[in-house]
Amino acid sequence: MSALFTKRLSKELVDLKINPPVGIEVTEADTFKSWKLTLDGVDGTLYAGERFTLEFRFSPNYPMESPEVVFTGNIPIHPHIYSNGHICLNVLYNQWSPVLSVRSVCLSIQSMLSSCTCKEPPPDNNHYVKTAKASPKQTQWSFHDDSV
Amino acid sequence: MRVKVKRWHGVAVWRWDVPNEEVCGICRVPFDGCCPTCKTPGDDCSLIWGECTHVFHMHCLLRWLQTEGSRGQCPMDRRTWGINFTKLFFLL
Repeated sequence: MSALFTKRLSKELVDLKINPPVGIEVTEADTFKSWKLTLDGVDGTLYAGERFTLEFRFSPNYPMESPEVVFTGNIPIHPHIYSNGHICLNVLYNQWSPVLSVRSVCLSIQSMLSSCTCKEPPPDNNHYVKTAKASPKQTQWSFHDDSV
Repeated sequence: MRVKVKRWHGVAVWRWDVPNEEVCGICRVPFDGCCPTCKTPGDDCSLIWGECTHVFHMHCLLRWLQTEGSRGQCPMDRRTWGINFTKLFFLL
């Protein structure tokens, strides 16, 4: 494992533990391979009172490569979140940058949930879930809806 | 009283021309330290400034630009990366 990979993730973990963003908590981070975090629905939004779990899987090239991020367990119903936990969010794929982090990704997802005005699954959910590979990074995403 | 200086020792400190306590956005190490792959800060682990004014450890930035996903863009603003040569020549 590269020094960049281990040092960066150690720093991120300490920072998330000492100074956690509101409604986001690291629950499992025993290795640098995968972490679990809980994400609470923000008060006053459609997801208030709900708690979700995000799983981050890191390749040894992190942060040069994006982490693989999926919801596990209770999957939020949202137009950009498939029922297998895959999330359609450009910063997780072609718009990744090494200055982004676990924290910034969680905040983007929290904000994506918060701005949702209608709890419904993506229109192509059934087809996608049947055909998608295990990793959302293998999907050819197209990003055309900036409204939610 | 006249004092005649016979001998003196000059002592200097140096630091990169960046705001105090700023960290490299890629590795999160302060600019006063070196990138995670190097052992000692200094000329061997230089900083690099972009035309867009963003600054990184040179090693961190080059590693990013070598990836296909970077598409040659600055990690901060996704503009095409160009070196700010004024800053670079100042270092030489």
